[in-house]
Amino acid sequence: MSAIDAVYIYDEHKYDNLLFLSPSTSGTSEPLLVLEFLHRVADALEEFLGSPLLASKISANYDVVAQILAEIADGGVVCQGEANALRDVVETGPGVLNHILGKVGIPGNNLAPGTQTGIGPTGALQRLQATGSGSGLGSQTATLSSAGSAIPWRRSNVRHTSNELYVDIVETLSVTLAPSGRPLAAFAYGSIAFTSKVSGVPDLLLSLSTGGMGSGMGNRGDQLRSVMERVVFHPCVRLNKWKSEGVMSFVPPDGKFVLCGYEVDLLGADAPFTAGSNNALNSLNLPATVRVTTGLGTSGNEFEVRISQPVSSSLSNARSAATTSLQSNLGSNSRNSAFKAGSAGDSKGPTIENLVVNIPLPTTVRNVTDLHPSKGEAAWNPVDGVVEWRVPAKDFGPLGAVLRCAVQGPHNDGGDEIGGVLNGLTATTYDYNDDEPSSAYQSQKEKQSTNGSAMRTSKMASGEKNRELMPTSATVSFGVKGWLASGLKVESLLLDVKKSRGLGAEVKPYKGVKYLSVSRRGVEVRC
Amino acid sequence: MESISRISSLLETARDLTLEAARDAGPRKPSRPLPVPQIKKLLDSRTERDVLDGLRRVISMQYANPPQPTLTFFPAVLKTLSTPYPSTRPLVYNYLIHHAEQDPDTALLSINTIQKSLSDSNPRVRAMALKTMSGIRIPMISQIVSLAVKKGVSDLSPLVRKAAALACVKCIRLDDTTRPQVEEYLATLLLDKQYYVAGAAVQAFIEVCPERLDLIHPAYRRLCKMVVDMDEWGQLALIRLMTVYARKCFPRRTKRARRAQTREEKEKGFYEDLEPKDEEEAGYDDVEVTDPDLVLFLTSIQPLLQSRNSAVIVAVTRAYLYLSPTTHLLHATGPLIALLRSPQDIQQVALHNILQVCLNDPSQFVPYLLHFLIRSTEPPQIRGLKFELLTLIFPHSGKECQDLILAELEHFSHSHDADLVGESVRAIGRCAQASLARTSRRCLSLLLKQIHSADSNLVGEAIEVIRHLIQRSPNEHRKTVIRLAKNLDTLTSSSARASIIWLVGEFVGTEGEDSIAADVLRILVKGYAAEADEVRAQIILLAAKVYLGFCNTRNAASKKSATDSRSVEEESYEQMDDANNNGDFNGDALAGDEPTHPIELLYNYTMLLARYTPSYDLRDRARLYRALLAVPTSTELASLILWAPKPVPVAQSPGEARRKFLLGSAGLIVGAGGLQGTYTLPEWVGEGEEPDSKLRDEGEEAREYVPVAGRDKVVSAGSRLDEALGADAVRAKNKSLDDWLDEESEGESEETEEEEEEESSGEEESGSEEESEEESEEEGDERSGLVR
Repeated sequence: MSAIDAVYIYDEHKYDNLLFLSPSTSGTSEPLLVLEFLHRVADALEEFLGSPLLASKISANYDVVAQILAEIADGGVVCQGEANALRDVVETGPGVLNHILGKVGIPGNNLAPGTQTGIGPTGALQRLQATGSGSGLGSQTATLSSAGSAIPWRRSNVRHTSNELYVDIVETLSVTLAPSGRPLAAFAYGSIAFTSKVSGVPDLLLSLSTGGMGSGMGNRGDQLRSVMERVVFHPCVRLNKWKSEGVMSFVPPDGKFVLCGYEVDLLGADAPFTAGSNNALNSLNLPATVRVTTGLGTSGNEFEVRISQPVSSSLSNARSAATTSLQSNLGSNSRNSAFKAGSAGDSKGPTIENLVVNIPLPTTVRNVTDLHPSKGEAAWNPVDGVVEWRVPAKDFGPLGAVLRCAVQGPHNDGGDEIGGVLNGLTATTYDYNDDEPSSAYQSQKEKQSTNGSAMRTSKMASGEKNRELMPTSATVSFGVKGWLASGLKVESLLLDVKKSRGLGAEVKPYKGVKYLSVSRRGVEVRC
Repeated sequence: MESISRISSLLETARDLTLEAARDAGPRKPSRPLPVPQIKKLLDSRTERDVLDGLRRVISMQYANPPQPTLTFFPAVLKTLSTPYPSTRPLVYNYLIHHAEQDPDTALLSINTIQKSLSDSNPRVRAMALKTMSGIRIPMISQIVSLAVKKGVSDLSPLVRKAAALACVKCIRLDDTTRPQVEEYLATLLLDKQYYVAGAAVQAFIEVCPERLDLIHPAYRRLCKMVVDMDEWGQLALIRLMTVYARKCFPRRTKRARRAQTREEKEKGFYEDLEPKDEEEAGYDDVEVTDPDLVLFLTSIQPLLQSRNSAVIVAVTRAYLYLSPTTHLLHATGPLIALLRSPQDIQQVALHNILQVCLNDPSQFVPYLLHFLIRSTEPPQIRGLKFELLTLIFPHSGKECQDLILAELEHFSHSHDADLVGESVRAIGRCAQASLARTSRRCLSLLLKQIHSADSNLVGEAIEVIRHLIQRSPNEHRKTVIRLAKNLDTLTSSSARASIIWLVGEFVGTEGEDSIAADVLRILVKGYAAEADEVRAQIILLAAKVYLGFCNTRNAASKKSATDSRSVEEESYEQMDDANNNGDFNGDALAGDEPTHPIELLYNYTMLLARYTPSYDLRDRARLYRALLAVPTSTELASLILWAPKPVPVAQSPGEARRKFLLGSAGLIVGAGGLQGTYTLPEWVGEGEEPDSKLRDEGEEAREYVPVAGRDKVVSAGSRLDEALGADAVRAKNKSLDDWLDEESEGESEETEEEEEEESSGEEESGSEEESEEESEEEGDERSGLVR
């Protein structure tokens, strides 16, 4: 990026612990372009250097990094964003990528023209025709084949000894619950990560099923589209096929990539805002819900957090229902034979992992005492002002778990001050701080004995004061393997033998499916 | 769309990652630095492995921190160009580009070798050579580069043609005199059939000569059709280019038609925003007649809304917003919302853009209300933007949604974060402002509930917003003021008390005798000693206002009686009074006649209290009021000052200030100032000034690109020439070139005029904005200013 002349603004993108900065020339540039570019740079670096990206790794491979940057941005013009296609042009030399590519020969520099004949143009061409915008490009076939990969996102000359295909569907939950427990908003943000390790140029067909949701809405494509909203695709997906049949037809890049992103409104598209609380919550099927009760205890300075597994949506229930419905739908057990890895994952049954409850407290809270979790461990982190409560998966059952704790407010209360000063006269300055709570207690006690009404007011005041110390929200994080909040399932993943090239007819790639629902502080309850 | 690295980090557990990291780091540990002669030796070696190793070391040194001197290797590195191993090429080229400027003479030695590679049989080698050659920043070789680009433009391989397109940019940067040639190359490349060549050509076009729109005419339709297949960066450049092109080439035609009943409401909302119409046209609607070519562009970019690239989505939205907001913008709403799934950095930028679209038409975002709910884990910037969005769509949503929004805002008004509290209370205020009377009252009662809170910060903010609301329509809110005044007994927050007292004072003038102000004053004066200075100042002001009201009514009554009876005694009494008051002015307020009316007594007592207040500011103020009100019969000046009509405060949505920025531009995110150069769109071209649409037709057939090598096979050069001449003749028949040029220049000059006008009006606007800001500031200070 040496050709960029002047720097006025920096767009930055924080990635793990590395900070990427990109100079951009002026106010006329588009910030999103720059940000997307930085994300691509990070992806490309990771593709070449392996994840996680570490500063030491980058500095050890400056030659590769320099080439990547030069290829991605040529003279300040972003021109190549596909990490996989960079494989063709970036010279990595021996020893860098061997283990990543599974000791397959990298095409590297020895790009003899002509090796691609017959393989190259098909994918791009079909895509053009599929989108209905390519006209009369057939004559280009001969020209293209000599020019390396004709598919901009796939490197040329892919060869793998073991042919594998993996579909990983990850859904990130974002749920907001009202203090009553009624869900205000519930979304699952899904991404389909695809790993393709297949020789030649495979042409794949991935079809999903909704698992019963959105039924009664016309054909399967319509159902799927009613569940998966606002879909975005990797450029390799043929949009026409998706629009007409609701399947994803594509020629994948080699290696890992994100095929598709979507979101699912877990409450249903036209759920009323003020629906009955229980029905809506049950339909959510959350593996864990949380409820916070504040203002407990004699002086109202305690609060209680209760997590539980909703009865109707206990994971085993959900799973068996999903499986049976799937089997009855298909009529045959074809899915199990198609996805051995997937069924292996299923057989264990989905389990909840990494269950963590975060309770942010106001900055005025000085200390949290009496942390009493019924299960797991809880700790107060004074720096972030958060009580973190980890519940091991094995302890978390249908009965749920409870955490109770008390908060302590700041010193500078009127009564405390007087008491502190009184006491400070006799005590040394060193243990002034230590004495203060006890002195406050004494002064309160004094008041208690002398004047009943004063006590009542002070108690009311302390209740009022403690209300300000109560948390206003709590968030739950967890991960559930083998379960999707949206109920989506991979129905089939087919390799179109006719359209695919460079793969032996008898080669059956190994296929695997993985489902994962995570909540990264995504389930939030207010109180 | 999330990036793959984030997804995979979710899929793999932390332990796996560290294991993999350890393994990955294994084969390539940072190599131990070697002394210079040894690296040179490596470079001179005959084995590929050693040469590569040496080059890699040199490159690492070049980027190391702190940078190490690597210039000494120049001859040795260049020598490796002659080795037969192509694997070394990329590294050598990289070194060359990096060092060429520092040692041009040595760099020139390599030109010959690179030129040879330009005719290599491998297209990738040719492309790389072209790229490197254009990257060498030595102005001397600009002509050679230009020739190389020319050769690349007619290359058989699209890879090389793409490299040629990108090289055009560098060629211009190297030497501006090559511009005419380069523009010629670009014109050819824009017509390329291969989509990624055309994409790169558009990118280069934007960099090199964005104003030469005449080059686009012949390629327009083809580019529109190809946009789906280009890479994201090409798409971005194309959308940007075509948005400008459409503004300049397609006049905004409107046809008057009877407005359709069903769409009436929707369209009305929009048209009121953009083009204020006369009343008599109400029955008609200006239906946009869009040029078919523009429709082609708008529909061909629609599939891009499913792109994974957020920048593309925003670019498409921008095209829709500024080209055809009525018909196409709706398609972009959902995809914009989808951007909220992205990582936080993109999310924030996306929210700014959504806000900008929302300011134009909030109603279309109502269905997506739930996406704007605030989460406690979000950073403050995102929170603020979401608050603003919620308040913007508030007036357009149904009752249930409004309930939800209000509940949401109320929840966050109880937060612990002072900024958040302020923001949410202000948001409630904006909601109240924007909506109908009934909902506005609901917001107000919500705010009134807040003033009993123990959080003084919240109470202060709430009262401030209530004050603004009451000021907007004082007549409806008399009861509210009384209710507020009742709270004075219990309220502790001094800023809230001061606000309420000020409000009570404001109502003295309008209510006359029934005013509660005197009573409020009586109660307040008792506790004067315990109040904060802020509140004391307001008490003094209130006393002055009450006394002024009292004097005014008495004067009016006496004047009335004077005019009725014309009694001499009254006049003499007045004269006597005047004399007495003159005495007051010189000496003590309490001197002279013993005041008998309780208000007079109260006033005098308050002034006395003020006189012995420690704060000299308060004593000063009291002195001012005493002087103003020294003569009870001539109160005009005092009325003018104390009862001056206060401008109604309007709490603007913070996003309004950025409305002038273009959707998706950096200025929108960063805000005003600090950015050099803004990115603006031209105004629509006037009717009849646009270039002929036939230009787009003819180009399609006549100037189709055929690679040089292929030309001879297809048609002989001679026949092509004839064809071209024929095409020219046809064109001449339709319209002479001169005519066309004249039109063009006219159009351009007018356009520039328009732009100038636009600029000046823009300045005016900004000026008036500043004024209004100042006004609002003045308004804010006015309370205290008046008191002073």
